[in-house]
Amino acid sequence: MKCGGHIPDGDSLFRQSVHPVSFKGRAFAWEKCLMLYDQNDGALLASLTWDRYVPTEELIHAYGCRLAFRRNEKKRIEGKLKDKSRQVSCGAYQLKGKAIRDLQAKDGLEEILSADVVHRVEEGEIAHTDLRIIFKPGSVSNIEGTKTAIVDRLWSKCSGPLRHICDCDKGMADHPSSSLTTAPAGDYSDTRSYWFRLWCIVRFHICHWLWRNNFWH
Amino acid sequence: MLNYPANIYRQAMVILDSSSRLPDISVPPYAQTRQILSATGSMDDVMPGTETLILRTTFSSVPVIWESELRQQEYQELGAALSEMTKLEEGDEWKIDPPVYNAACYVAAGLMAHSFPAPRIFNHGTKSVVFNWSYGADNMYLTISADHISALISSPERIKRRVEYSVNELTDPSVALLSIRAAYLKKPVKRLVTGAVSDPTEFVG
Repeated sequence: MKCGGHIPDGDSLFRQSVHPVSFKGRAFAWEKCLMLYDQNDGALLASLTWDRYVPTEELIHAYGCRLAFRRNEKKRIEGKLKDKSRQVSCGAYQLKGKAIRDLQAKDGLEEILSADVVHRVEEGEIAHTDLRIIFKPGSVSNIEGTKTAIVDRLWSKCSGPLRHICDCDKGMADHPSSSLTTAPAGDYSDTRSYWFRLWCIVRFHICHWLWRNNFWH
Repeated sequence: MLNYPANIYRQAMVILDSSSRLPDISVPPYAQTRQILSATGSMDDVMPGTETLILRTTFSSVPVIWESELRQQEYQELGAALSEMTKLEEGDEWKIDPPVYNAACYVAAGLMAHSFPAPRIFNHGTKSVVFNWSYGADNMYLTISADHISALISSPERIKRRVEYSVNELTDPSVALLSIRAAYLKKPVKRLVTGAVSDPTEFVG
């Protein structure tokens, strides 16, 4: 049994949707759900959650709630937390590992040298992964246009949403999760068999215990 | 964050395109609306241009607006939204740099002049703003940075077309816009990077 390492093409990855970042006012803005950040080496980076460490919907949503909580705490400590900018976790969208790796084979995205998703624990989150896109040297004439093409392709492969309201947001009168729109690949469906799902949960608990006790990193 | 209205209400509206003519030209478009009924009295049967149309009643609650006016209004809203994006706090995900705003306004003016419908907007950060239109299942994007425009047309299955425009072409956006319009007419997949301004047919492919 492997805990870390390579993320198989068939594994699910989840992108959390957080208000107000991926919203335009009250309307969900899918284009902002998959934010790609420039790296010093010219690569693009985004964060996703690996289903190996969030094998149930409850765990996927717990990750989203912790993410929003951490961001709010950071703002609060800086003295910048305002009601309108308070982060509210709304749910997640699913992508397969293959959809990311296929980016480099796409017609119209010839500038991509590699597109991959790798497991990297961040801020104590064992399920965190890096989506990293590297370009062929000298091939990118306008990185902003390339970002649009990548976001368009990734969104076309997304399914969901998996809507959620965190405990801390249950008092909200009009929770933004109701504004999430169905992704192009349709509603999310967990196609794992009962026994495989059970195995995934057992594996998660073993790996999580090993990780917490420093048996692997 | 941008300040959008908290409440949105439905409002019926009659929109006239450039080929339409009001039945009574003495009536200004906003002043009064005429309900147009067919001989059978059914609104579903209204067929502009047929001889069976009969004007029976008037009412003032439904505004009549020319398509060009509506477009102008939509572009005014677009301009206001872009302007607001420049004024957001540092670190706000929707903030854009002033040179990007200038380029976006320049392109928006060209789009309006060429009768493009007003786009949706988003951004990837401060260095660009993206104009987006849906056309059936297809999407068209113009990614505008301070010195580049990238056009992208995609279907759910694939990227249909990408065209890059250099800073030189921004000096005459109508050339680029005409080529984008041509590219929108479902031509073969091709990614082209252009240099200086040239005949648009060369980079439409």
